[in-house]
Amino acid sequence: MTWSDPEKLKRVKDFGISGIAFCVARESGSGKLFFGNSDFKVYEVDALAEKPEPAAFEAEGHQSYVTGIVQNQTQLVSGSYDGNLIWWDSESKKPTRTVKAHERWIRNVTASPDGSIVASVADDMVGKLWDAKSGETMHTLKDHKEETPDHYPSMLYAGAFSPDGKWLATADKVGHIAVWEVASGKKAAELESPGMYTWDPRARRHSIGGIRSVAFSHDSKLLAAGGIGKIGNIDHLGGPSRVEIFDWQKGESLHVIEDNELKGLVEQIEFDPSGNWLLAAGGDHGGFVSFYSVETGKLIKQDKAPMHVHQLAMNDDSTGFFAVGHGKIAHYEFKSDHPPGPAEPPLPEDAA
Amino acid sequence: MAQPGSIFCGSADHGLSRRGFLGAAGAATAGTFAADMTRLDGLKNPLLAGQVKRQQKSVILLWLAGGASQFETWDPKPGQSTGGPYSKIKTSANDVHISELLPKMAQRMNHTAIIRSINSKIGDHGGGASLMETGRVKDPGLIYPDIGAIAARELGRADSQVPDYVSMYTSTEGRRKGTSGFLGARYAPMFLSDKQIPDNMRRLEAISDVDHKDRAALRDLLSKRFTKARHSEKINSHTTAYSRVHGLMSSEKLFDIEQEPESVRAKYGPRQFAQQCLIARRLVEAGTPFVKVARAWWDSHGQNFETHRELCADLDHAMSTLLDDLEERGLLENTLVVTLGEFGRTPKINASLGRDHFANAWSCSLSGCGVRGGSFYGKTEPEGNTVADGEVGAAEVFATILEALGIDHEKEYMIGSRPIPLSDFGAKPIKEVLA
Repeated sequence: MTWSDPEKLKRVKDFGISGIAFCVARESGSGKLFFGNSDFKVYEVDALAEKPEPAAFEAEGHQSYVTGIVQNQTQLVSGSYDGNLIWWDSESKKPTRTVKAHERWIRNVTASPDGSIVASVADDMVGKLWDAKSGETMHTLKDHKEETPDHYPSMLYAGAFSPDGKWLATADKVGHIAVWEVASGKKAAELESPGMYTWDPRARRHSIGGIRSVAFSHDSKLLAAGGIGKIGNIDHLGGPSRVEIFDWQKGESLHVIEDNELKGLVEQIEFDPSGNWLLAAGGDHGGFVSFYSVETGKLIKQDKAPMHVHQLAMNDDSTGFFAVGHGKIAHYEFKSDHPPGPAEPPLPEDAA
Repeated sequence: MAQPGSIFCGSADHGLSRRGFLGAAGAATAGTFAADMTRLDGLKNPLLAGQVKRQQKSVILLWLAGGASQFETWDPKPGQSTGGPYSKIKTSANDVHISELLPKMAQRMNHTAIIRSINSKIGDHGGGASLMETGRVKDPGLIYPDIGAIAARELGRADSQVPDYVSMYTSTEGRRKGTSGFLGARYAPMFLSDKQIPDNMRRLEAISDVDHKDRAALRDLLSKRFTKARHSEKINSHTTAYSRVHGLMSSEKLFDIEQEPESVRAKYGPRQFAQQCLIARRLVEAGTPFVKVARAWWDSHGQNFETHRELCADLDHAMSTLLDDLEERGLLENTLVVTLGEFGRTPKINASLGRDHFANAWSCSLSGCGVRGGSFYGKTEPEGNTVADGEVGAAEVFATILEALGIDHEKEYMIGSRPIPLSDFGAKPIKEVLA
């Protein structure tokens, strides 16, 4: 039996890809990955192969960056800056349905735990819930403002389902988070994390930042948002990577984690099924993967990733993950052959 | 040194028109120093307005400080590895496509020409800005005037009572005041950095408006008596200087957009850049020949696409509203609107999803006065790494701007015994984008 232990984090391998991978889905029980790329294509690759060779879906697909992808059995759904959602047969690598889903750029696509519902968020500032089977719109979620307080276009970056499938969180550029009841499409809660948004009124007169990732804890009680903290020079991503953890039903902020060691945007967050740790990944010119204690917010372990990480896919038992990003895919493991905590001393030989 | 240019060519027709204009203005203002409003009032007379519009050419330079990306503005390359996520869109001009981030400008490309083949070579902010502002590389022995100072000299009136050269740069990053170089302080910009209304233009509160006018009238009376039997350039210059100062003091309202109807202000909207464009229109309408509105800061080393999503929205709205407003007022045919910066941005997209400095193959635009709308010049290779056709430098862009305004770009200033052409030696205007 294996357990997860962030202290054991190690990069098993990484390999180069052409372009920038923005999103990834992993086929259960394997190292087969599907990722969306800056060349507008969806790729398949066996990341565990000795020499991984990404193969593009050559059929007519997206017309811009592919920024979201989810898988349910043999079905893939991808989303793009072209505003379309495309349903693909992952075996034939051909599209089975294309839906004009949003008026502006789709930033994220996510699936409910049972795969029956797909959610998309886009810069039309609308979240949408889709029946994964029929492709029909179930609910249109309107809450996020189209303009920032400074009268510029806002962006709706992040969306995530709760593990129990009851809730969807969506989060935008100015740090506003909405939690929606999936069944009714009604807003259940609002949270604010304004520290994720930097507006520079004086030196450069534009903004940077935004919440780029959200995730629920496995008991669905906590909600974490990831992005970047306040930045002095907004020409660069030179600000602290930032995670804020909420008890979302109480509307309480439990921890604000700002990390100046490895800076940049937190592009994805994953919670430990047992509730002990939280994994944040992202980057600036470089990349990072960082584990934090959910209880204390303290750093447990981090690694300077070989590229800016845009998304990652956990393995089945949460003891490793595949990270995709700028020109590379990296495979990490953090498994132990004994439960987390101090290792028990070996038994004396005579006792054995 | 050559004499400053004048909008009045000296012909009898123009002389009459000038007298008519000044007479009408004088009557309207009862001999006060309201130079700003005289232009605006004068324009209410259609005959005079027509004369002014024909004669008074102006420039509004939208300075995209920090370096805007040609890919996300005037030279999109969707589908290329360098192209980024945004698509290109059709425009009102056949065969011209621009970035989808400029949808309003796409509808107004019939007024606009694009130059897509600038190789200015200098990729640092200071050097690039100096090059593009003056149209030539720095000379250690001579400080060249920038395009604003040259326009002020060539298009401004010697006795003008409105500022000849106004430069607005309210962000702090990359702020440059501009320089009149060897043309001297007379053509230096009125520089607005912190506020939209200039400081030190108001009369002192301790002096009432009546006192202010009485003092001016007294000075005028004494001056006329003094100069009656004397003819001296110095005395004339002194008198002109007083007149200009009083004119500038009364031009404060030109900078106050509250003077505009609500319907006009609503069109420009709440953002600063657009409001500064409205001020620019007011200044141009009143006779200011050159206004620079700097919009900083496009230096998107990180998050290029997010930055351009914001800044292009700003540019698209402000520029399209400005062009509409100028056109509705009959001013566009005599007002050249230019977008320019110190350089463009790299084809390569870096790990922060940014683009870095790039001067080897980038774009600018010209709209309105003297421009063949709906045209484009030059071509970059498919990924935008180099110029494929029609390479031009800063000097050619400079010469083109001058020619669009009807200024002979080969005209020379004499600095001592040294002839200095307005545009750099050997530079030719890009005829393909000129009307």
